[in-house]
Amino acid sequence: MWSLQHILVYLAVAAAVAYLVKKYFLKPKSKKERTCGMDDCGCH
Amino acid sequence: MGKQLKVSLIGNPNTGKTSLFNLLTGLNQQVGNYPGITVEKKEGTCRLPGGGKAHILDLPGTYSLNASSADEQLVVESLLRKEQPDFPDLAVVVADVENLKRNLILFTQIKDLKIPAILVINMADQMERRGISLDVELLEKKLNTRVVLMSARKKTGIDELKKQIEDYQQLPVSPCLSVSELDATYFERLQKAFPEEDLYRLWLCVSQDVALKKIDESLLKANEYSERNTPEIKRLQQKETIARYLYINRFLNNAYQVDRTKATDWRSVLDRILTHRIGGYAIFFLIMLLMFQAIYNWSSIPMDFIDQSFAHLSEWTNNHLPEGPFTSLLAEGILPGIGGVVIFVPQIAFLFLFISLLEESGYMSRIVFLMDRLMRRFGLSGKSVVPLISGTACAIPAVMATRNIENWKERMITILVTPFITCSARLPVYLIIIALVIPDQTFVGFNLQGLTLMGLYVLGFGMAVLSAFVLDKIIKNKAHTTFVVEMPAYKVPMAKNVLYTVLEKTKSFVLVAGKIILAISIVLWFLASNGYSDDFYQAEEIVRAQPENTMLSEQEMQTAVASYQLQHSYIGIIGHAIEPVIRPLGYDWKIGIALVTSFAAREVFVGTLATIYSVGSEEEETIKERMSSDVNIRTGKKLFDFPTGISLLLFYAFALQCMSTLAIVKKETNSWKWPFIQLVLMSGFAYLVALGAYQVLT
Ligand SMILES: Nc1nc2c(ncn2[C@@H]2O[C@H](COP(=O)(O)OP(=O)(O)O)[C@@H](O)[C@H]2O)c(=O)[nH]1
Ligand SMILES: [Mg+2]
Repeated sequence: MWSLQHILVYLAVAAAVAYLVKKYFLKPKSKKERTCGMDDCGCH
Repeated sequence: MGKQLKVSLIGNPNTGKTSLFNLLTGLNQQVGNYPGITVEKKEGTCRLPGGGKAHILDLPGTYSLNASSADEQLVVESLLRKEQPDFPDLAVVVADVENLKRNLILFTQIKDLKIPAILVINMADQMERRGISLDVELLEKKLNTRVVLMSARKKTGIDELKKQIEDYQQLPVSPCLSVSELDATYFERLQKAFPEEDLYRLWLCVSQDVALKKIDESLLKANEYSERNTPEIKRLQQKETIARYLYINRFLNNAYQVDRTKATDWRSVLDRILTHRIGGYAIFFLIMLLMFQAIYNWSSIPMDFIDQSFAHLSEWTNNHLPEGPFTSLLAEGILPGIGGVVIFVPQIAFLFLFISLLEESGYMSRIVFLMDRLMRRFGLSGKSVVPLISGTACAIPAVMATRNIENWKERMITILVTPFITCSARLPVYLIIIALVIPDQTFVGFNLQGLTLMGLYVLGFGMAVLSAFVLDKIIKNKAHTTFVVEMPAYKVPMAKNVLYTVLEKTKSFVLVAGKIILAISIVLWFLASNGYSDDFYQAEEIVRAQPENTMLSEQEMQTAVASYQLQHSYIGIIGHAIEPVIRPLGYDWKIGIALVTSFAAREVFVGTLATIYSVGSEEEETIKERMSSDVNIRTGKKLFDFPTGISLLLFYAFALQCMSTLAIVKKETNSWKWPFIQLVLMSGFAYLVALGAYQVLT
């Protein structure tokens, strides 16, 4: 039980950190805005 | 997968495009009543009676194909660029029966592009009341198209429309008007320069001076055509509009009649009252007052229930699951974190219930009109009211909604001041602090807590207007614009539209904010239950060894150990590091941590405190009770007392505590300069005001 709980904790923390990093730090690069009408919309 | 028929819904603002879209696709949608709310792209699929499927796109409202705002430009582009994916196989032009003439201008323009088009005349349910009679057959003949008379409200005419969509290939695509008649020599030259292009399409490309540069430039590059005389183009555009009106007038007088004696005129009476220069504001203020009172009173019961339930659940988890770190994570990190989000669902649902009722009933447009007088004086326009009111939900869609403002300066100012408006993310912060420091009493019949909340909304709005006034003096002026507001008829709100709005807003709050808060509470719990020093690992021995602690009961001893451990955990170390900066505002290291984490999103403040106050405690107590009994070690008084509470409220009212707002402002202004200025000014100001308030109140 001891080690399973620890593994679960580390998994949860890793997932949470990964989510936050993806949300706030990687967003500028991966963001492909599909809205048209603005200058750099990439839909020409 | 076979190729789906692509259908675009096009029309003036407020003609019921979104309502029709909801009916056709059945998807969850935001439906608004003031011009320009349809900013985001809405798509869906519709099943046709013959078994086929159509892909439906709900475009923003537009008055004509001569775009004057970014919103309209989007529509024009989607109709001019054949190669892009949004180019429709069929345009469904939605018109409102009460404003048919103006709506037909757009229809004839689309028809001239030789895109198959169906004319939908919506709001047929209003015809009798307004004394309108309509000859659909004559219209069909004159416009050379299919006309569907329907009511999105009464759900009539939908099947007919679906059938027409299915048979779209039988639609005639002949144009209504030939532009070359406007100025034979000019259009001859234009056509000669680009022999392969369709003349009307070409004319639209050339005449969109700002809007369609890209198309224009590629055209110009492909050919040496460089003649662009703007005054002449403007003159031709006017000529085109006049020609279209003449064309429409020729048959509309026969096909469309209004018997004024049959029309009931309570609308104009109501308009006069609601937009009265004194009475109008008084009524608006009263409605707001009632709204905030109701939000407070109605949601207190479900909120208490949610609060208690989560406290029970945490305790149950702690007692019934096998002991270990994961159980603690669940009971002290995840559950309080989720509870901190869910508890605001009732209030957020009520807020959006009222906002969507105001929009749906048609009252919101009167507010826009009423406020335009006021806004003008502050360098804003009546159209700024749309983003400012949307800002009560969230600054992000609000900043996006400014695309509707044509004037650069007005748009810039609106973007810069919108984050002062009390957004729903501030609501949780305000609610918990108000509950802690403002007594639950009535003052001349009004609930004091509700009054405080309303005061904060007024404060945010006032601050936005004030800073707009200052910015108006600083930012260099460009051209001035005039303001046209759409005044839709008063309507009994459609339950479906209201329900969709409430569900959608609540869902997106829970999902978007919820995920972030959940992730942050996991990380926080981890940082709060781990440390690196002996102080952390040997907390129990150290606390027991301290002579002044020998008198403590076992229970008190446990609390002392937990709090010693928390102070020496990673989070405690971070909190203590920033404490000197925020101590003058009356905050301790726990609030400091919440300030840092809530920069991701303001509502994280509550989740953070919930997590911090739960770590190491096993009693069943609500977070609010724990917070309210916490003592500031330095002053020996309650941590959340009146001065600290007010200081926190003011800090959150003014500070730009939101990464996403910075990101969207960067995107909309296309530079880091504006978001940076915004951050420094707002947060600096917030610090000073909070400092001042705390120092004066203690
Ligand atoms: N009376 C009446 N009102 C309608 C009808 N269809 C839509 N509305 C109302 O018209 C307003 C604008 O509708 P909406 O779908 O947001 O229009 P959009 O701006 O074109 O997307 C809303 O208040 C709707 O409730 C209709 O058939 N009859
Ligand atoms: Mg709409």
